[in-house]
Amino acid sequence: MELLRSLQITLAEEVLSVSGLVLLLVAAWGGDKAARLISILSVAVLAVCALIAAPALCGSAMGPDVTAFAGQYRADAFAAFAKLLIYAGAGVTLIVAPAFFERVRGMRAEFPLLVLFAALGMGIMVSAGDLLALYIGLELNSLASYVLASMLRSDERSAESGLKYFVLGSLASGILLYGVSLTYGFTGTTSFEGIRLALGHGLSTGATFGVVFVLAGLAFKISAAPFHMWTPDVYEGAPTPVTTFFATAPKVAALSLLMRVSLEAFGAQPHAWQQIVIFAALLSIVIGALGAIGQNNIKRLMAYSSINNVGFMLIGLACANQPGAAAMLIYLAIYVAMSVAGFVAVLMLKDADGEPVEAISDMAGLSKTRPGLAAALAAVMFSLAGIPPLFGFWGKFVVFQAAVQANLLALAAIGIAASVIGAFYYLKVVKVLYFDEATDKVTGKSDLAHTVLLVIATLFISPLGYLLTNWLHGLAGNAAAALFHVA
Amino acid sequence: MVDLIQYLPILIFLGIALALSTAFVFLPMGAARLTGTHNPTADKLAEYECGFPAFEDPRSQFDVRFYLVAILFIIFDLEAAFLFPWAVSLKQTGWAGWATMMVFLAELVLGFIYAWKKGALDWE
Amino acid sequence: MIQAIAFYLFATLTIFSGAVTILARNPVHSVLWLILAFFNAAGLMILIGAEFIAMLLVIVYVGAVAVLFLFVVMMLDIDFAQLRAGFIKNFPLGFALAFVLLAELVMGVGAYKAGGLALGTPDAATAPVAGLSNTAAIGALLYSRYLFLFETAGIILLVAMIGAIVLTHRQRGDVRGQKPSSQISRRPEEATINLQPEVGKGVTL
Repeated sequence: MELLRSLQITLAEEVLSVSGLVLLLVAAWGGDKAARLISILSVAVLAVCALIAAPALCGSAMGPDVTAFAGQYRADAFAAFAKLLIYAGAGVTLIVAPAFFERVRGMRAEFPLLVLFAALGMGIMVSAGDLLALYIGLELNSLASYVLASMLRSDERSAESGLKYFVLGSLASGILLYGVSLTYGFTGTTSFEGIRLALGHGLSTGATFGVVFVLAGLAFKISAAPFHMWTPDVYEGAPTPVTTFFATAPKVAALSLLMRVSLEAFGAQPHAWQQIVIFAALLSIVIGALGAIGQNNIKRLMAYSSINNVGFMLIGLACANQPGAAAMLIYLAIYVAMSVAGFVAVLMLKDADGEPVEAISDMAGLSKTRPGLAAALAAVMFSLAGIPPLFGFWGKFVVFQAAVQANLLALAAIGIAASVIGAFYYLKVVKVLYFDEATDKVTGKSDLAHTVLLVIATLFISPLGYLLTNWLHGLAGNAAAALFHVA
Repeated sequence: MVDLIQYLPILIFLGIALALSTAFVFLPMGAARLTGTHNPTADKLAEYECGFPAFEDPRSQFDVRFYLVAILFIIFDLEAAFLFPWAVSLKQTGWAGWATMMVFLAELVLGFIYAWKKGALDWE
Repeated sequence: MIQAIAFYLFATLTIFSGAVTILARNPVHSVLWLILAFFNAAGLMILIGAEFIAMLLVIVYVGAVAVLFLFVVMMLDIDFAQLRAGFIKNFPLGFALAFVLLAELVMGVGAYKAGGLALGTPDAATAPVAGLSNTAAIGALLYSRYLFLFETAGIILLVAMIGAIVLTHRQRGDVRGQKPSSQISRRPEEATINLQPEVGKGVTL
């Protein structure tokens, strides 16, 4: 039966929502005392969902076999790739959060629930095969994210970041919805396949406006310039575990969604969006690199770095071909590891009272007091800068390679030039860590879970990561192929 | 397409209501002006507060708890709004449609239980 | 004929109350005018045959959203003098924005005059079933073809509820709430005691 088959395909989403509902009751009766228990259970749920989603990544099932609910949902290799990254990002957030929030007595039982529901929304985003599924998934994720950003009610900066995120996010949702309605009006359907067919006959002016508005709304969600203005404020103000979350899971979801919309729904008319993507890529790279220079707050610096990295990833999308998409996915996976390592390291920067240290100047001479932590931070910075022995270089390399193969030489050249500018501020942080006079500010003890996560993520971005290149290329290639199987 | 003629009675009703209420508001005003009793002075226009001049703005800030009540109301209002198309289309959607709505209701009932248990419905 | 009269009645009132919503000095009045605008918009929706949308406008927008607006307006501590000072200061920007919107309007009318829009042909799979009312047609699609998204919309509502409670609800320790069950199950014998205190001495309970 059609409905039962569909329910089988969407199993990961069903498990997530049912366990979210059950844990909601646990939260209602257990109160904030049960927060740790709910966090642990949520991580287990995410692991189960990852197991459910994983087989699709290696399989070659495509088309109708993995499509549920009349094409609104698809569990193909691409969705599986993105989902594994999303669940990983959400899981890391849940693991690092309790230690951070318990210090300020801000650990709420609802925190893991909201992360779970956000993960549910992101899963629907990356599996969307219909503009309606896209919007519903995006809203579920965004709504949970707004609340997460302002989770720390006692902290004014947290409330401010939540409000900023909410106001600008709903504006972006409105723009996106406007684009969706225009696209529907001029193509007569909301399904990606239908839009592809309709656009195959030519692109009317109205449909062009639709494409542009949809892309503008999504560009906001991935914080690509010129829609990046909220990123530094939100990243700085939100509690650090929530920032870790924002920099990993929603970024993966929004970028994957952008890929699916551009390559699947608008794939018949790549010229309509290629220029926009190239423009956004260049602008993000430049703004990310220049904006980071004057920052003294490490979270703001990471925010600009994420704008910069999104620019590099968009170069892969600008190629509008399968190698470009595969390169983008590889970059995305490496970027998630770099973000996790970076933000977990930031979480471990605490002074003697356990207060978080966020100013870069306060980290001076960290190599003498905490050599391990300093080495990990330095590895993250080198990796973000794309300096060769580290794995971050590989992400940039595959993206530039794809751009050169797609005859986007100028774009690749400007990208490489800008990454040299970007290297300046990453190296400045390394200089502060290793060569400045020690301030002995960072003396706080670290949580075991944080240390373990930091070690794993740092090993991934270290030169040891190159051992995984074959495996990663295979998976990303398979995922990218799923995007192009209609073409 | 809807047969709009079925809405004619309510339209006529609205028209009459509009005309009558306009008349009730403006007739006395016109009558007062025409008969010369309309003679406002500063004392007449001042707000009456037991003979004292007004102390402060009558508007006072509401408690944030009103907001929570209003949000919960909107959510359950929307839930109710979804029931109308469901009820009239059950013949087309069948058991699957019925089960769909039951799951939807269950989701919000769980939310309701959560809100109740959390004390969000108590005014204190 | 009647349809045209009704359209112009509703349309004029919508635009008029929309304008007054912006121009009213008192934000509470603005909200009340907004409610009138919603009502008239509902009338317009009925005229184009979208009965369900019209009902939603009245039930959800007038019934709930407008009430929420009213609460929010009452909750904010707005200094009107300051607000108006800001209005003067931001006037050039507002004027520029208004000019852009006007230009868009002119362009829109120009595009409309230039000829019909080449709209896409609607997907046959989502075409309304003949003989069904507007509301039933929506239901027939929403609870079969789009049931997955409908359930997810339920989760969105749930997240909104959790979010509102997390952000605004505060557990207070200093108030004594009502406990209906224990209050009702209390018996007169437990509530009163007869004592005969000695002269000059107090009573300890």
